[in-house]
Amino acid sequence: MSEDLRAKVIEYLGKVDKTKTRDMADNLKEKKSDVDKIVKELAKEGKVEFLYIGTSYVKLVK
Amino acid sequence: MSEDKKTPLLDELEKGPWPSFVTDMKKLAEKKPAVKDVLDQLELSYAEKKGHWKHGGIVGVTGYGGGVIGRYSDKPEEFPNVAEFHTMRINQPSGWFYTTDALRDILKTWDKFGSGLTNMHGATGDIILLGTTTQNLQPAFNEFSEKGWDLGGSGSDLRSPSCCVGPARCENACIDTLDICYNLTQEFQDELHRPMWPYKFKIKVSGCANDCVASVARADFSIVGTWRDTLNIDQAEVRAYANNGYDIKGMVVEKCPSNALEWDGKTLSIKSEECVRCMHCINKMPKALSVGQEKGATILIGGKATILKSAFLSWVLVPFMKMEPPYDEVKDLLRKIWEWWDENGKMRERVGELIYRKGMRVFLRDIGLDPVPQMVAAPRANPYFFWWPEEINK
Repeated sequence: MSEDLRAKVIEYLGKVDKTKTRDMADNLKEKKSDVDKIVKELAKEGKVEFLYIGTSYVKLVK
Repeated sequence: MSEDKKTPLLDELEKGPWPSFVTDMKKLAEKKPAVKDVLDQLELSYAEKKGHWKHGGIVGVTGYGGGVIGRYSDKPEEFPNVAEFHTMRINQPSGWFYTTDALRDILKTWDKFGSGLTNMHGATGDIILLGTTTQNLQPAFNEFSEKGWDLGGSGSDLRSPSCCVGPARCENACIDTLDICYNLTQEFQDELHRPMWPYKFKIKVSGCANDCVASVARADFSIVGTWRDTLNIDQAEVRAYANNGYDIKGMVVEKCPSNALEWDGKTLSIKSEECVRCMHCINKMPKALSVGQEKGATILIGGKATILKSAFLSWVLVPFMKMEPPYDEVKDLLRKIWEWWDENGKMRERVGELIYRKGMRVFLRDIGLDPVPQMVAAPRANPYFFWWPEEINK
């Protein structure tokens, strides 16, 4: 489940420039807390970075 | 080149008997070209009545989404040394207790990687380090980290919890504010460093209702020390105040907001059930009056400055909670609140604004708290009790 979701999150992030995790969870039809957990793991691995434009977004590190 | 620019408007701020940030910055500018450009850009802003800083974007250190605030000049050709001038927030120690060695250590690293400019402290409490380049962020963070410092919060995350000096210096402290602040900071590292919420969330801890960190006005979640038994009264000290000519009736009894005190000229008595633990009488007669024995905290929710809605003062959420390590009760409550806010909040909507939009009774039902009279700010004018729709269908 976790590996599946991780793959879905990475795939989703690959298709968008940046996103709120709320929007990502809605689009993936997943629980936001589960998506957040994956994003935090990816951030700690240096694969995801955060940006701030009025509020915080996440995006894949290029 | 910017070195030749004059700053007549800023120079005005050096006149008069007061210390001037312009003087300090000019001194620093002798060895830091970025500071010279800050002064010149500020002079331009004063002349044009227009700011020239851009804010945001991608800046950070590996694994962190908070603690670094992107700052760029919108005139990089004119002021090349502040083309990038990012802010770093360093999480302050509980109660802002430092040794001078620790402060020097911070400034040594900041002098190496940044402009040397600081702001002690930001509104949330962090040590604010003003002005570094994108390239220097990671090495600066690495060095701070090696010295035992960490970044604070920024963006849509938990901001660095802060607290008053508490039991370290204050006899009124009903809770160990320093330990609570440190414990919550350690517990919620993910929430502090990786922004995932609709907007910011601030926790402030005050040892008593004097609320020296102004948590009620500034924090989404306020922990304010209180007691639930009765005020301690030392009658001999009360009489000493009276014998010294102190107007106990006028200065204390008549100013009690809930008329809980009585003074017959010899004895000061209190109706504990009327006392709202506001601290006024204790502040006025600290040698005679002191906080009670059964101590804990009142938890309040929803304070903030103007954002989507106007400024809010916090509401009472839990009238009394014991505050003992490991503080599981308050942590569980925080997690429930965050889950509800995260699920229902709009972008840039603080938790107080969400409660205002959806209603306190919806909030209380969803986080599993029963309404109690202490949550009510004023008696209701509407006599109707509103049932939940599902209760009517039964």
